[in-house]
Amino acid sequence: MELLQYTIRKLVSGIPLILGVTLISFVLMVYFGPDKTYELLGKNPTQEQIQEVRAQLGYDRPFFVRYADYLRELAVLDFGNSDSTGERVNALLARTIPISLALVTPGFILGNVLGVVLALFAAFYRSTWVDKAIMSFAVVGMSISFLIVIIAFQIIFASSYGLDIFPVRGWSVNSISDYVAYVSVPTMAMVFVALGYNTRFYRSVIVEEMTRDHVRTARAFGVPSAKLFYKNILKNSLIPIITRIVFSIPLVVISGSLLIETYFGIPGIGKVTYDSIITGDQPVLKAVVGWTAVLFVLAQLMTDILYRAVDPRVSLK
Amino acid sequence: MSAAPEAQAIGDVGAIGQTVYKRRESIWSKALYKFRHDRTGMLAFAIVVAYSVIAIGVWLGWFASDWADVTGGKWETASSGHWFGTNIIGQDIFSRAIYSTSTAFEVGLVVALLSTLIGALLGSLAGFFSGGWLDEIVLWMMGVLDSIPFYLFVAAIVFAMQDSAYSMHVAMIATFWTTAGRIVRGEVIKLRGLEYVEAAHAIGVPELTIIFRHILPNTSHILLVQATITFVAAIKSEVILSFLGLGVKDGMSWGLMIAESTKEILSGFFNNFLAASVLMFGLVMAFNLFADALQDALDPRKVH
Repeated sequence: MELLQYTIRKLVSGIPLILGVTLISFVLMVYFGPDKTYELLGKNPTQEQIQEVRAQLGYDRPFFVRYADYLRELAVLDFGNSDSTGERVNALLARTIPISLALVTPGFILGNVLGVVLALFAAFYRSTWVDKAIMSFAVVGMSISFLIVIIAFQIIFASSYGLDIFPVRGWSVNSISDYVAYVSVPTMAMVFVALGYNTRFYRSVIVEEMTRDHVRTARAFGVPSAKLFYKNILKNSLIPIITRIVFSIPLVVISGSLLIETYFGIPGIGKVTYDSIITGDQPVLKAVVGWTAVLFVLAQLMTDILYRAVDPRVSLK
Repeated sequence: MSAAPEAQAIGDVGAIGQTVYKRRESIWSKALYKFRHDRTGMLAFAIVVAYSVIAIGVWLGWFASDWADVTGGKWETASSGHWFGTNIIGQDIFSRAIYSTSTAFEVGLVVALLSTLIGALLGSLAGFFSGGWLDEIVLWMMGVLDSIPFYLFVAAIVFAMQDSAYSMHVAMIATFWTTAGRIVRGEVIKLRGLEYVEAAHAIGVPELTIIFRHILPNTSHILLVQATITFVAAIKSEVILSFLGLGVKDGMSWGLMIAESTKEILSGFFNNFLAASVLMFGLVMAFNLFADALQDALDPRKVH
């Protein structure tokens, strides 16, 4: 009951955030985005034809009516049809989001799990060569642009100038082996780039936890290192770790894969978003922005609830 | 520690009973001492200086002013005339890569300076009046800006500012200031409770003077570290945005070179890609290590 009350209160307090995000994005879209009118018209349109297309796109209505309409669409989660293809936006999302999830999930999980494992190793062997080697690797990973990693990995693993073991680009997945073939190069690139930042962040969290008094006391009482690391250090470091992971989910789901999808020509939500930005497909952009804002509010709620699961002292007040 | 004797009072007691120090030891002099003994940091700093000399040279027209000229044939390999060969229409790749260094510096400096400045300003106001309406508004703004997908926001601003060369800068500043803002806000909340601020209040110093003269300068070491981190982030974003066609339009940048190279690498010509990647990696790596050393020297919160 307490949890339900808390959830409702938290969701209500997320409304200003959703209003802000949608309002700013909508202003930018409506006043400054590309105009689709002439794209949809034939050559030498008459005044009536222009009016008709503008009415059909909704361009002729006042701003606040359109914004109110957007909020109503967001409330019922139905954004109408795409201006470019006429496909229902919800059908478009249902088609493309699973592809993006299938694309980024392995890299996301591996990047975080390996990051925590490497960070534990580095912290365990703090200031020895193991620590230094891991942290040097992390700085190198942080310094190479994601773009360069994608292109270099494509050359190394998927072109005739390298190993040539994976498809160069695209996404025609019909079986598990297809999936592994197409997902491998993007996954390796994502893990390589994420690992640098993740390892550094997780190591600093773990080292901070290691230097606390209760850990020193436990060590003095002879608690074995492995148990100490699992029970006293890792468990207490979970709050910042969870925060980082949960808050990166909304962007990973909606636009995190934009670069990978445009480069490899994978028809996921990132590529759809990029194309709608370029052409000014407002219904699709409205859906992407709205969903991201909603996911951020949900992420906030989720971290608060998870905090309580890992730390009983946290109260939902 | 050879710095220790300098820190001690020399022992002159002035007429009004104050101890006179021959040399004051500040966070900056201690940091300088620490930084000078950090070998990786000094090496990284030297590389950053070398890159900035290149950038300044390009601005002054010393080198690479011929980056747009056609000086050779298509896809020439490396030679004494063209150190990294030529691109598809015969422009010298070395000149273009060198010229791009100044673009990277320009974007990095403008974005790092302005976003840190805005972050410091709004963050300190929010922190000082935390719990009040101003704080609520700033927090709301930070939350909103962090929740708009970055590429979408940049693209919208690029369209909004049409042909302006600075649309990318504006978009980055508008999203990057939130990090500095959050850090400064937290720091100011901590400093606000200290005695010297209370004392300033007690003798009637106006609030804005307290914030900007007494509190904000005490966060300057954190601001410097944050500015170096933002510099790196801006350079990396510039390359990706230029690649996507949302960044640099007239001029040259590593991102544009990489975009050009994607049409060439599948036919086996790597010079464009390698030149841009290696130069960019060198700068970002050196700057990351420099920022690290700076943080070690200046930020007491840093965990080793």
